[in-house]
Order: sequence, then structure tokens, then C-alpha cells
Amino acid sequence: MRTYKYRPVLWAAVMAVLLLTAACGGNNASSGEANNTSPAASAPASAERAETAKPEEEVTLSFLHWRGEDVPAFTEIIGKFQTEYPHIKVEMQTLPSDQYQTAALAKIAGGDAGDVFASFPGAQFEAVAKAGLYTDLSAEPYVPNFNEALIEAGVKEGKRLAIPYQLVYNDPIYNVNIFDKLGLTPPDDWKGFLALCATLKENGLIPIAFAGADIGPGQFMNTMVMNNLPSDDAFTKVEAGEAKLTDEWWVKTLSQIKELNDKGYFQPNALGTKDAAAGALFIQEKAAILASGSYQLAQNKAQNPELEQKLLAPITVEAGQAKYEGIHTSTFLLGISSKSKHPEEAKAFLEFLSRPEIAGQYANATGQNVTVKDVEYTTPELQTATEWAGKKTLFQPRFTITNGENQKAVTNSIQAVLGGASPEDAAKEAQAVVDQSLAK
Amino acid sequence: MRRRLSLWIFVLPGLLLYAVLFVYPALAGLFYSFTDWDGLSPSFRMTGWKNYSTVLHSLVFQKALLNNLKFMAAVVFAQTLLSLALALLLAGNKRSYVPLRALFFFPAILSTVSVGLIWSFVYDPGIGLLQGLFNLLGATGLAPNWIGDRRIAIYSVAAVQVWAHTGQMMIVFIAGLQGIPQELKDAAAIDGGGRWRIFRSVTWPLLAPSATIVIAYTTIQSFKAFDLIFTMTDGGPNNATEIITTYIYHLAFSSYAFGEASAGSALFLVLLAALTWLQFKALRADRISY
Repeated sequence: MRTYKYRPVLWAAVMAVLLLTAACGGNNASSGEANNTSPAASAPASAERAETAKPEEEVTLSFLHWRGEDVPAFTEIIGKFQTEYPHIKVEMQTLPSDQYQTAALAKIAGGDAGDVFASFPGAQFEAVAKAGLYTDLSAEPYVPNFNEALIEAGVKEGKRLAIPYQLVYNDPIYNVNIFDKLGLTPPDDWKGFLALCATLKENGLIPIAFAGADIGPGQFMNTMVMNNLPSDDAFTKVEAGEAKLTDEWWVKTLSQIKELNDKGYFQPNALGTKDAAAGALFIQEKAAILASGSYQLAQNKAQNPELEQKLLAPITVEAGQAKYEGIHTSTFLLGISSKSKHPEEAKAFLEFLSRPEIAGQYANATGQNVTVKDVEYTTPELQTATEWAGKKTLFQPRFTITNGENQKAVTNSIQAVLGGASPEDAAKEAQAVVDQSLAK
Repeated sequence: MRRRLSLWIFVLPGLLLYAVLFVYPALAGLFYSFTDWDGLSPSFRMTGWKNYSTVLHSLVFQKALLNNLKFMAAVVFAQTLLSLALALLLAGNKRSYVPLRALFFFPAILSTVSVGLIWSFVYDPGIGLLQGLFNLLGATGLAPNWIGDRRIAIYSVAAVQVWAHTGQMMIVFIAGLQGIPQELKDAAAIDGGGRWRIFRSVTWPLLAPSATIVIAYTTIQSFKAFDLIFTMTDGGPNNATEIITTYIYHLAFSSYAFGEASAGSALFLVLLAALTWLQFKALRADRISY
């Protein structure tokens, strides 16, 4: 009997080794394949495949994105597209943005889904580009339909890999009625901004509703740093080791955020407040300014139809020294998977989305501004954001930090000063994390 | 011999599931921990032990480990004590105890994500239930910043974990208490033992197997806590509630460093195994007998 004692263990070990060998074999195969499937190499090959296919052949495209709230709008648009291209069927699949990082990108990488897919700018765009999952769209004739200045986030090494579809102004929102009642106007320097907050506080209002526990630091840092930056690529330089977070410009930004907190211009215990709760303070008109962005205008209005809202960016320098009036982010980067079997049909879908009337339909139905030119916005909230189209805005500096750990270190330094740390110590702590990333 | 082989057929489905769902992912994770795979690229390079060294030297990992220990200590201590107290109160066979046991067990059936979301609102400094209580008592300014203060945030989340799982552990203790023969307690009482003495010398030693299960389960559960922290604080403020599981998640899905995340997972596995082994040794559950 003793002879059989270890047999189950042996069986388990043999199976495990077999499975591992099979798995490693699979990886090797795909590694080899990958070396030959850079976006540049795969695009002509895919085009060739599409050329040989008969035009009337029924094709199903997978469209993958994270905006579940846009499904009704996209369903209508897809309906129109399918009327124009009866042989193309578009299957839309949405995953929540947190799962998008995991499940969706794995599906795209595996070639299972996402002929057309959306991605976030910054770290995610970089990772997808590095993995060679984008088809080069540089020569596509519909790219000029977009406002060129707003779609830079989809370019890497001179190649257009994706087209940002949505346009967000990441500038704080203010309550126009409250401002009018108190005779206030958006100030054009730091002194004026502090005075504005003081007046709001004296009148029993929370000057700024700040979601310090989640989105607040990542949103507010952009307008706070835009005019302190020594150059637009200062964060890129930090990641390259050519600049430091302990440099004067970031320490100054942290000091100014701390000043707002110390003077009581954020709601009490702002670090424990989440997005929804900060939004509620603004919607209930307890707070005059909400430190978020234009993407929240429609949502606020839906919850309080009396609300009149506009955008304002704190200017952290003296009036004459301001380089920028606000921040914009072009996001929802639409790309075509390099693993798509139907790239031509996918391009037809992108071209369809780039038409001003279709982009307008999407914008007006979802309350989101778009990067497409000549779009007619019908709601006051969208028109509010459109006023900013003529202003000098900078692409969201946070998204120029392409390493996730570094991005978190930067926003963490804001939480640190709000938690009582000195700007210098908070900056030093963040720089230590960046230094570790650089040493890898 | 043939009979033995036919018996294997019965074991095979379970073994296969275990191999596919546990052994393979664990071994694959171990393999990736020696690579620089970013989770998306089909190709990667072998990097040897570099990921392990990077993770061990990472400031965030060190902070996460410390937070994990604080979280675990708070949860194990409070959850064991509270569940034992509740079990001692509700171990009898009175009718009124049944709904009470069900009531205390109730949070265990809620999904952790729901618990996290509910408590995020309870803790909110503006519209939260706790803040409302402080306002009612006229102590508005005295309310702590539950999840925003880096000094107490981890304990605030630990309290939620305790709230959610105390009832579950209470059931384990009740089962243990009901297994202790009444005669032993009666004999001790006849010998002049008071309530505390009987508990210390009779009940507690005989509860050791239950206590082992409770402590071991609570330790592992609190070490693995992910969804609660993910929904309530996502590791913030300034990494004050970052624990190893959220650190691994952030490495993999925010920084696309799957190799390092796998190394973190392997270290985590070793840590958990060591911890459980130490606990079984320390509690000497196997030595308890009537």
C-alpha cells in the first residue's frame, strides 16, 4: 500500500508541468508572431486582406468602449451606419472603466474583440501603442474632420495611432447665480482668486467643493499647475530624470493648494470627500465652485435644473504672466486594432463617426463635447464648454505623466499637503517614487 | 490495482478544475514574475530576480506591507474579541437568540463592494451618517476625518471589515461552544470555579480549534482584503490605506507592470503561507483533546 502513497501528488505535479509547458509553448508562439506584427507591418497586410474580400460580404465589427451611459446614443448612430453600410454589422460592447483596464485590453490583445476600440490618453495609450495594438491612421482622409490642435493625444512618434473623440475642459465649474448675486467675476490672478474665495466664505458658502478622496487631486492639479510649469513638457522631463518634483514650480503648486485648504476654502475634511458627495454640495448650491470639469455640467443640470454653470480656472500667477486660461483633455481615443480582420470596415465606421452631423448627434445626446470641427451644440451646457474653444488651453498635464506609479505619486503629494505635510516634504516623497521608477 | 484506477476517475474532475483554475494560474504567475511582461505586449524578456528586488525595495510596497500588518492586527484583534463576546452571549438555545444570530450574521451575506459603498457614505464628512450624529450632538468640528486622515483611515476601513465579518466568525465560535460538554462546566462550578475561571480554564482551552479557525481565517481574509479598500479609498489618501493586494493591482492595471505585479503576488503567497503555518504552530490546535 505504501507504494501508492505519493501517487496523487505525482499525478498533480505531472499535470501541472504539462499545463505549464503548454502555456509557455503558447506564449512562445505568440511572441514570435508579435515580432512580425508591428502596426506598420500589419496595416498593409490587413489592407490586402480587405481588398481581396468581396465588398458585399457580411462583416461584423466589434466596437469596444467603457461609456455605458453613451449606449443609447451610439445605438442610434450604429443604426444609421448600418443603413448606409448594410453589409457591416457593428456589435457594441461596453465595460466599466475600471474593468476596461483589465478585461477589455486583454480582449483586444487577444484579437477576440475591439476592431474599433476606445482607450484613455496617457499611460493606457502608451501601453497599447507599445504593444503594437493600434493601426496607423496617419493617412486616413477623415482625420482633417477633427480639430488638429485637440487630437495630439493620439499621436506617437509622428504616427497617428488613435483619434480622441471627446473633448473635456478640466476647469472648475462655478455657480453663475451665486457669482452674480455677490457681484463676483472670474479673477485673472492668484490674489484675485484668493479674494474671491474669501468673499464666498464670508457669505456662508463653501468656496470650492473638492473631492479629495478620489478625483479631486487629479483634476484640480491641472489648472493649478498650468501657469506654474516652466515648460509644457515639465512632467515629461520629470519622468526622464531631467527635472524634479522638488523643483520650485511643483512645490509652489503644492503650497498654493495647501493655502486654499488651510484658509478653509475647501469644505471641511476635504480629503475624506468623494466625487459624488462633492458634486452634491455644488448641486445643492452649498458650494459655489466644483473642482472637476465640463464633463459634469450636464449631470449637475439634470439634478438641479435651476443651476446656471460656467467654467473658471484659477490663475496662480500675476495677470500678465498667465500663459494659459484653462485645461482641455481630449479623451475616448478611438483606434483600430492591428489584429482586426476587417480594418477597412473599421475605418468606414471611424469615418462615419467623424462626420460633423453624426458627432453632433452624439454630443447633443450625451452632453459631451467632441473634437470634430463644425459641430452644432444645442444644449446650454455644451455651449458653455464651446465658449472655451477660443481660449488658450493646455492639454491636461496629468496625462503627460505616462507611468502610472509616477502619476499616483504626483496626486498623492497633493493629498499629503492636504493631510498636513509641508509642500517640500510632500514633493520629496513623490520624487522618491519617481526616482525608483527611473532606477528600474 | 484496477479498482484503484477506477477510483481515480472520481477524483479527476476536481483535480482538473483545481489544476486549471489554481495550479496553472499560480505557476503562470510565477513564470511571469521573472519577466518584464506589460500585460498587453505579446513579447517579453526574462529578467531573473530583478522584479523581486524592485518590489522589495519599493517605498510603496514597504508602506503597503506596514499598512497590511496594521489592518490585520486591528481586524484580527477586534473581530476575534467581538465575535467571541457575541458567541458567549448568544450560544444558548433560547428562542430569542435565533433572530439575533441571524441579524449579526446578515452583513456577511452582503457583497463587499456594497458594504464598501454604503460605508463610504456613512463616513463622508459632509453628508455622512456619522457626521450627522456629531452634528446632532453639537460637536460638528469634532468629527474625525474617517477615511481622509492618513493616521486613522486604515483603522476606519478595518472597522468596516470587522462589522461585515464578526457575525460570520460568531457562528464558528457558537458551533465550538455548543460542542463543549456541559458536564465539564458543571464539574468546574462544583469545584468552586467562578464564571471567569471556568471560561479561562475550561471553555477557552476547549475552544482552541474554533479559535484557530477564526484567527487563521480572519488573518488570511484581512491580508487578502481588496474589494473593501478598492471601493472605499483605493489605497488613499497618499497610500495610507494601500495594502499589498491593492499595490499589486495598481502595479498591474495602472502601471502595466505585470512582471512586477506577479513578483508581488509570489511574495504575498509566501507571506501568507508563513503566517498561517506560524499561527497553527502558535495555537497548537492539534494538541487539544478532551
